[in-house]
Amino acid sequence: MSEFKINQRDGEGISVIDLKGYLDAHTATDLETAFQKLLNDKKYNIIVNCRDLSYISSAGLGVFMAYIEDVRKNNGDIKLSNMSPKVYNVFDLLGFPILYEIYKDEQEAIVKFKAKAKS
Amino acid sequence: MPRLKKILFFTGAVLLFVLIFIYDVARLTVSLDFGGAEYLREGSVFTAFLLLYFYIQSGRVGRAVGIPKNIGKLLVYAILVVALTSSMLLFGASLAAQTEKLSAPQAAIVEFLSLIVGIALGVFSLSALLTIRDLLLYKRKKGTKRNLVIFVILLLANNVAALPVMPVEAKFIASMLFPLAVIMIIVNSFKQNWIVYLSRREKLYAIAYGALLFIVFVVLNFLTTQSVVERALASLHQPLHNFIRLNSIFGAVYFGMAFVSALFHLPTAEVYERKQSELTSLHNLSRLVTQVFDFPDLVNTVTSMTLEVVGAKSAWLELIKGKRNDGQVLVEVVSLKNISREQIEAITVDADLSLRQLILDSKRSLLIDDVESDRRTRHIKKLNISIGSLLSVPLVSHNEIIGILHATKDFQYGFDQDDIDVLTTFADHVSIAIENSKLIAKSLERERFQQEIMVAQQMQKRLLPQKVPHYDVMDIAALSDPSLEVGGDYYDFATLDSDRLGIVVGDVSGKGVSAAFYMAEVKGIFQSLSKLCASPRELVMRANQALMDSLERRAFISLLYAIIDIPKAQMTLARAGHCPMVYVSGNSSVLVRPTGIGLGLANDRQFDDATQETTLKLKNGDICVFYTDGVNESRNQDGEEFGFDRLVEIATRSRMESAERIKENILNEIRNYTGNSSYEDDMTLVVIKWLGT
Repeated sequence: MSEFKINQRDGEGISVIDLKGYLDAHTATDLETAFQKLLNDKKYNIIVNCRDLSYISSAGLGVFMAYIEDVRKNNGDIKLSNMSPKVYNVFDLLGFPILYEIYKDEQEAIVKFKAKAKS
Repeated sequence: MPRLKKILFFTGAVLLFVLIFIYDVARLTVSLDFGGAEYLREGSVFTAFLLLYFYIQSGRVGRAVGIPKNIGKLLVYAILVVALTSSMLLFGASLAAQTEKLSAPQAAIVEFLSLIVGIALGVFSLSALLTIRDLLLYKRKKGTKRNLVIFVILLLANNVAALPVMPVEAKFIASMLFPLAVIMIIVNSFKQNWIVYLSRREKLYAIAYGALLFIVFVVLNFLTTQSVVERALASLHQPLHNFIRLNSIFGAVYFGMAFVSALFHLPTAEVYERKQSELTSLHNLSRLVTQVFDFPDLVNTVTSMTLEVVGAKSAWLELIKGKRNDGQVLVEVVSLKNISREQIEAITVDADLSLRQLILDSKRSLLIDDVESDRRTRHIKKLNISIGSLLSVPLVSHNEIIGILHATKDFQYGFDQDDIDVLTTFADHVSIAIENSKLIAKSLERERFQQEIMVAQQMQKRLLPQKVPHYDVMDIAALSDPSLEVGGDYYDFATLDSDRLGIVVGDVSGKGVSAAFYMAEVKGIFQSLSKLCASPRELVMRANQALMDSLERRAFISLLYAIIDIPKAQMTLARAGHCPMVYVSGNSSVLVRPTGIGLGLANDRQFDDATQETTLKLKNGDICVFYTDGVNESRNQDGEEFGFDRLVEIATRSRMESAERIKENILNEIRNYTGNSSYEDDMTLVVIKWLGT
């Protein structure tokens, strides 16, 4: 299987996670570790940028489900952005757009977080 | 048969001796000097002794008696014979003192006594020779038998030369042969191998017997030189005297040497015995190999063999089970001999310096010569356990200590370097045996697990419909194939009433055993809810309620549920996050995907709000394909997915064919696409063709 990479960018109270490659049962633990670290660091405003994500399996989707509750309880959120149509379709089939905010562009998500912070 | 032979030999010999006696007595009064009578007599005596030889020889066969016992017996015979000969000597002397000339009956008695003493000495000489032969041939070497044979030939030649019928020159040859025979006696007497293999106790016997036999043979030799005996023997058989004399010399020299030899071997007897037992113990190591299948048996053998190998009083074997969080090593005593668990605990743990830790740190064997005074073991003195010395050897496997073997003796300085070497070697074998035993157990465990999985696979297969329901108005085909032994895909049918059929396809997130459990749960929920819920939407909503609590946070289930109303020819379906249904009607084909969220992803309100229902009017020849993502996510060599379009295209292309054919077409297409006969993900397909009326 092709590799999977996670990169994290922090700034202005928002953490952006860049996903790259295949997110499946084998690589899902890497994403879990990243989320767990963010929670430990009390960073609850999270954007997952899926621009380079080429595939996500049900195990990969499960990771978002595992952390969303804790993040929202702490007045934060996990927002998704920059999905390719193929990856979006997987999220869409499962009804993720109803449960998560999914944006075309990372910037839109940042704006949303900032707007919420002001109010 | 051998018994009969024995009796024949014996009676033959006795008969011959009786005849000889009668002849001898008759000769005293009547002249019987007819031609060849003397030859006949000598021949008869020789034959009689030959028969006796066979008799003794056959008596020895098959009797496995220890060497010291044989020598002891010989000693008893020797003493009896000496006593008999001496009394005969005394009788002869007293007879000679009484009268100048013997009366006829007196002469007959003398003849009789000569005969008896002659036979006794002859028989004794034969059995002495045979006994010595056995000793000589014990652990024989190349020349052993040859030397003995040379001696026997010389002995016989000497005897033959002494025959009265021989010319005078023969007597000269006999006197030449005599020293040669004595030389061979000395040569043969150096062969004392049997002594080496005796135990210390047996060596002590050998010394005593050797000394006594030496004395008895010397006495016997002396007696044979006495004129009365010499005459008596000569009167029976001329060569007998030479035979007995040479044999008594042989006996005296051989057992004299045996005495000296045993004496010199005595100090090393203990060492030899020890080596012997070490050797047998190491031979017994093979027992360890065969016992690897039974761990309790194996460790029991290890401790009992430790007692044998180093002659220890008590022994125990402890194996390292792992490490506690604080670094303390966890140890389990798996077998012990002549010591209690409490004592072991007290010896190894309560010390200021843990003996165990010492060995674990040094990874070498630990010897404590004097337990009471040694700083490392002084605490044992207080415990009231009789331990004088202690030897502990680590069991090492792959450079790691897997256990420790301990042995104790109840006296100080009980273990020497040999013991350490032997126990170390032994420990190496034990390590291997234990390691093998563990590996075998592990592979058995794996096999058992494999079998459990096979059982799970069989059970899961039974959770799926054994056959598709049959309807005149529709043609149904279905298949589900997990990529591993068990999977999370599910499909089922429910006959709701005579007019309605429920069809469900589901997919649990993840794969393997955990998915299989949820799949079974989904089956239960579906079977119970399908009868209660009038609409597909209601069913998925209630299924979500039921599953929310039991599902793991990160787990979810996608589901597609359709109800076909046969009289109305319509299908209503709800989708809980599942792959859309492929619907082919006439020339058009669509993916039917009413909105909905996967089960377990959202709470009631959110879920219910999102879930919608779609109704399709079925026309003759319409095709519906239900499937799981294993179908559309199948990948080719370049990593590209099979996708929905290809699926729709095949369904459309084969719409004129039967449901079964359509299903097969899809599967073949996937196989061609992936270039692989096995699937990466669980794969399920349900094809329904509406035939109508």
